[in-house]
Amino acid sequence: MKLVTAIVKPHRVDDVKEALRDLGLNGLTATDVEGFGRQRGHTEVYRGAEYQVDFVPKVKLEVLVPDGEAQQVVDAIVGAARTGKIGDGKLWVTEAEQVIRIRTGEMGPDAV
Amino acid sequence: MEPIAIVERLRLDLDSLDRAYSAGHHGLWSAAKRTEIFDAALISMFHPPASGVALVALGGYGRGQQLPRSDLDLLLVHDGSDPVGVSEVAERVLYPLWDAGFEVGHALRTPIECALIAREHVDACTAMLDLRFLAGDTHVSEEAAARVRSLVTDDPAAFTRTLDSDGRERADRVGSAAHRSEPDLKSGAGGLRDIQAIGWLETAWSERDDAGWALRSHDRDALADAEEFLTRARSALQLETGRRSDRLPLDMQPSIARAMGFSDEPGLLAEDGLMRAVFEHARTVRWITARVFGDAMAEGPPGSTVDPLHDAAELLEALAVTAERGERPSVALLDAIEAAPVDDPVRWAPPIREGFLRVLRAGEHGVDALDALDRMELLTRFLPAWSEVRCRPQRDPYHRLTVDAHLTTALAGMGRMLAGSETDDPVEREMVKQVDDIDGLLLGALLHDIGKTGEGSHVPIGTEIATEALIDMGIEERSRELAIFMVRYHLVLPDTATRRDLTDENLILDVAAKVGSPDRLAALYLLAKADALATGPAAWTSWRQTLVRELVGRVQRAFERGDMGTELAERLTDGIVQIRDRLSNEPDDSVERFVLRMPRAYFLAVEPEAAARHFATISPALGSLDVRTSSAEGVRPGTYELLVVASDRPGLLSWIAGSLALAGLSILTAQVFTTDDGAAVDLFEVEGVFEREVDEARWREFRRTLRKAVEGRTSLSHRVVEKRRLYPGPAVASPVTVRVDNQASEFSSVIEVGAPDRLGLLYDITSALADLRLDVHLAKVTTYTDRVIDAFYVRDALGGKVTNPDQIQEIETAVRARCAD
Repeated sequence: MKLVTAIVKPHRVDDVKEALRDLGLNGLTATDVEGFGRQRGHTEVYRGAEYQVDFVPKVKLEVLVPDGEAQQVVDAIVGAARTGKIGDGKLWVTEAEQVIRIRTGEMGPDAV
Repeated sequence: MEPIAIVERLRLDLDSLDRAYSAGHHGLWSAAKRTEIFDAALISMFHPPASGVALVALGGYGRGQQLPRSDLDLLLVHDGSDPVGVSEVAERVLYPLWDAGFEVGHALRTPIECALIAREHVDACTAMLDLRFLAGDTHVSEEAAARVRSLVTDDPAAFTRTLDSDGRERADRVGSAAHRSEPDLKSGAGGLRDIQAIGWLETAWSERDDAGWALRSHDRDALADAEEFLTRARSALQLETGRRSDRLPLDMQPSIARAMGFSDEPGLLAEDGLMRAVFEHARTVRWITARVFGDAMAEGPPGSTVDPLHDAAELLEALAVTAERGERPSVALLDAIEAAPVDDPVRWAPPIREGFLRVLRAGEHGVDALDALDRMELLTRFLPAWSEVRCRPQRDPYHRLTVDAHLTTALAGMGRMLAGSETDDPVEREMVKQVDDIDGLLLGALLHDIGKTGEGSHVPIGTEIATEALIDMGIEERSRELAIFMVRYHLVLPDTATRRDLTDENLILDVAAKVGSPDRLAALYLLAKADALATGPAAWTSWRQTLVRELVGRVQRAFERGDMGTELAERLTDGIVQIRDRLSNEPDDSVERFVLRMPRAYFLAVEPEAAARHFATISPALGSLDVRTSSAEGVRPGTYELLVVASDRPGLLSWIAGSLALAGLSILTAQVFTTDDGAAVDLFEVEGVFEREVDEARWREFRRTLRKAVEGRTSLSHRVVEKRRLYPGPAVASPVTVRVDNQASEFSSVIEVGAPDRLGLLYDITSALADLRLDVHLAKVTTYTDRVIDAFYVRDALGGKVTNPDQIQEIETAVRARCAD
């Protein structure tokens, strides 16, 4: 099993959700997160009032997928989240050693 | 009978009681019946020695209100002569119950120990105030009861204070049962514990004739109704969950509502009907409790002076004065308000309006005043629309309060911000400086969710209701319009900020057009913040705040630059209406798409008539190598309007400009736009250089050259140079100026170029920009006899501004060199 984690722009979340739904994916976890990458924090100004934005708002998406489906999920997320501009985010895939559906105790691919 | 048999019998009796009615109909009668069943079992299990030991019931069981899954609260009172024997007596009762799975709270105490513990712990004290003899030695039982009772009757004032502070601590810890979405029916403010507290207060003052308080008969009736209802709800909860629980969770509300006989009604689901009833009762309880305790703790003689209030205006005046002093309405004032004649509905007149606005302006204390009006069922006479949102639960993951409590909380929040209270939000501070129509802002906050009536989308409904209410109140037009605007657009900032691409220029301009002006932007920001803070702790996170601030910053700068404002917004809206009108024969969705994708600058620059004409060229889908052109007679005699549409890419503008130069067409003006899906829409005003008449053959030549350039089948640069040699322009020595400005636009760097005119000048400049991989997003080119002034809005390869000083220097050098060649 793989855990696909992606950090995306907030306004791309709906498109990503849609792309994953088109793949027949049943679930994902979305969290509002803040951080910085190459797109650093910066100073914002509103009518002369300056304030520091240290962290940029993003959404973290997490999807559990069977090994064989990881690549198409990755492609779908990347395709839907890309705007070509700075700050489009990152995605990484990790091994999920064990997956259990808590209600039934089902394990592995059955639990996804 | 053996204890085991007794307990088995007990279990059977209890089960048949549980099944005797549906889960929603176990009220006080059922609780009394359950008490009797337990009594019978316990009395037959209890075999005390001849004297000195009694079994007594405490707490809810003592009061005869044993609920389906509540603990059984027992006490063995003994005289202390045989502690070991008493333990054995106790065990003989307790073990069979424990073994059968009953939750039994128990203690062994002498009467003196009872008093000692009661002195230390208010909960133990109140539980023992409800002490009821079950079996054994009545003397020890009576002695224990008398000792505990005398603790509170000896100094009822002290006990009142203890109960009051206990109630406040409980309310802080558990929250209110009167508007929390998952209320605690027992311990929440306004819950069953508050009703019991009034009972204990009555016990404490029962031997005095100087009690400063009394329960009026209709209060007593209201408390009895509330106790019956809340008991049923709590019993239903316990029966449905099979557990001792007091908090009514969202997911249980539908089944409990149905069990209690609620059904779906138009605009009110069964579970909302249940919760509304819970909140109504809890508010009544809270209200009576606050009043009773207020009276009981009041210093000095009761009934201090408040003159009778003769009408609604005097009533509001009195409330406003109290709120402005930062006080809660006194009991005497509340009595006077209750006795005051108030029309239903109120006929608004200037003094009433002024009184109402003064109450709102008093911020949090004003909210106390509104709360008082609400409790006396007067607020809906002033605001009939309030009845729909009163006690109405909200079912979403964010909201924790009922609609009306959310509205008054938002009002209090707005008042706090406007009062300039301490804030670490620099944007809020600036926003507060921007606004001056305080009444409009307060009314907007009070009414922003007034459309949550359970029927359809709350924003349009709320806008309508608010309009009617504000007209009815006679609020002056300026404040009224602001408040209505806030109701209509209160979701625009948070929704746009969290869901849309804030680097989309059209989006920013559309929001700016909707908002119209900086003071209204400030009003929406303050409302968004007050709204979120009144919703729950999760609604105004730094995540959300950063996004909303980014949006308001961009919109504010659009106002400051003059990219959008009231007048432009009107022109834009009018223009789009006219375009839609002119295109009424075209399919709706392609017209809609046209309006959405074309940059706002296009609609502001181009007459609706021309835009409608351009539609046919712009609208169809574009292939990557497609080039589409159309021409028409120009506005000035001898000039032509030329429209070129193609997929945008760096260099495109230079190819068009070069092709025009080669076809002997001179560019008088140019306006370059890019749609949000990457099509370049370039509009030129051209004239023939020598032959003024431009015939179809010349257009064809232009199109052929351009297509070749786009497809990479021709190189334009040497041809343009050659053409220029053949047709040298006037030799005017005016300087070339190039300046890069990063402040003039939110999303693009603006390159301003001034140069003497010559054939192919635009080609020279734009091919220099293409060499630097800059995409021209928007351009304005104007020719003033012999001198050309151009502004190019460019973006780099990542779609952003050019900020690197070296690169800016390079742009200036390259463009200047090309123009001076």
